[in-house]
Amino acid sequence: MNRRVDRAPAEAPAPRDEAPADGRARAWLDQHLYSALSSLGRLWARRGATALTVLVMGLALALPLLLALLLANLRGLGGAVSDSREVSAFLAAGASPATVAAARAAIEALPDVGAVLVRDPDEGLDELRGMAGFGAALEAIGDNPLPHVLVVSPDTDADAARIGALADAVGQVEGVDFVQYDLAWRQRLDAALALGTRLAWVAGVLLALGALLVVGNTIRLDVAARAEEIAIVQLLGGTDGFVRRPFLYAGAWYGLLAAAVALAGTWAAVWAMGGAVGRLAAAYGSVQSLAGPGLGTQFAVLAAGIVLAWLGAWAAVGRQLAQGRPR
Amino acid sequence: MIRFDTVTKRYPGGQDALKEVSFSIDEGEMVFLTGHSGAGKSSVLKLLSVQERPTRGSVLLGGRNVGAVRAAQIPAVRRRIGQVFQDHRLLLDRTVFDNVALPLVIAGTPRAEMERRVRAALDLVGLAARERAQPQQLSAGEQQRVGIARAIAPRPPLVIADEPTGNLDPQLAAEVMGLFVTLAQGGTTVLVASHDLHLVSRLRKRVLVLDHGRLIDDFRPTPKPEAA
Repeated sequence: MNRRVDRAPAEAPAPRDEAPADGRARAWLDQHLYSALSSLGRLWARRGATALTVLVMGLALALPLLLALLLANLRGLGGAVSDSREVSAFLAAGASPATVAAARAAIEALPDVGAVLVRDPDEGLDELRGMAGFGAALEAIGDNPLPHVLVVSPDTDADAARIGALADAVGQVEGVDFVQYDLAWRQRLDAALALGTRLAWVAGVLLALGALLVVGNTIRLDVAARAEEIAIVQLLGGTDGFVRRPFLYAGAWYGLLAAAVALAGTWAAVWAMGGAVGRLAAAYGSVQSLAGPGLGTQFAVLAAGIVLAWLGAWAAVGRQLAQGRPR
Repeated sequence: MIRFDTVTKRYPGGQDALKEVSFSIDEGEMVFLTGHSGAGKSSVLKLLSVQERPTRGSVLLGGRNVGAVRAAQIPAVRRRIGQVFQDHRLLLDRTVFDNVALPLVIAGTPRAEMERRVRAALDLVGLAARERAQPQQLSAGEQQRVGIARAIAPRPPLVIADEPTGNLDPQLAAEVMGLFVTLAQGGTTVLVASHDLHLVSRLRKRVLVLDHGRLIDDFRPTPKPEAA
């Protein structure tokens, strides 16, 4: 079939379909570059509608991001209480050294006890002085009002239930006024954080699905508006990939812009809340301030935005492609 | 080049567009397909470009049964066929040049080669000077010539045209048909569906006549058309 006389256009007796390989690669690259830029041009030509889509999708991405950020910050706050396994036994104020020694011996005899550290009232006073805001108050008090504290470290293999039982047992020891241990509230915090994380995931998945649908629907309208062009390209031998390409690029642009909007919104929220959080943290004696998303997270958000929008575009074009199939 | 072997095409409604149609067309031949509307002309062309699949029988194109190609292979089949439509189906938001370049872009033709072929095709249809124009700035005849330039720019071995002169006045129609004759003389196989019997008979080429889905005549004029 390749035998052709081809006499009319005198200047072009070039062989069919036998361009050099690097020319093909170049043409392929040209096509992608063209699709990427022309799809961006189309978004710009309808910038009002584009902005709306990008904002809606950006918000959908920003909400779970903010939630996750909040949780990460709370977890950081909880992490400051690292010695939560310890059980502190407060003796009655003014206990005699003999009472202290007896209480210590009694506690050391209990099961699951790893080590017992005695902190006398002077040590406690020094520690308090080092904390913000207490210095002046302590000056006002003449005598040291602090009791002896026995800090009980449980065996390393003791789980929460055994530490709870140990705390109860420590409370029964002669001379112990009251017992404090952080494990209980730490468990509650962990449970609350776990719930929050689960919520963030659920919200994230739902909103990501929403973002996908927003882009899918926008692309679907674009596809419908260009149905004739798609049909012609299919008749001229355009593959599904060729037909999809500009729409996938458009989707990727939507995703990238929306992710940028989401990040900008998140940073704005961090900035807006930063002062208040700082004051709150200072009031609790913490120096922690609200941290924004890390570099890795930001890249992940950009990637997620692009992938989601790309998938939405993929699904939207699929329906139109099916119309070009032979019956 | 083309061989229809007892092809039947039945549409979902139960109506037969083609009934056991058999014919073959040699390479470089120019053939008209004629008959009243609804006779099955378009079905023949759509079976060739795999817009439709035969209900029974086989449609061979260059030795390949295009009625049975997988969906992924359809674009490759269509790239070897230049298609001309009655309503030209140009992209109205692109220039004449971009329209003619479209099949070459689809095929991934390198840029320099693409430009050369587009200019050659436009030159052949006499529109070399209008490459920057928008299709809507052109007359109906010129638009159809752009459609022909688009079909031939990739130099396909086969060009099929469905009522290419349907919207043109007699003089423009004769001009456009003349282009197809030139094309066939260049070695391209050309199959043109047309109900303009007057024009078809004047060109003295082989004519296939369809009636209610049956091939009722295969008329070869004497003397035979010069073989390509």
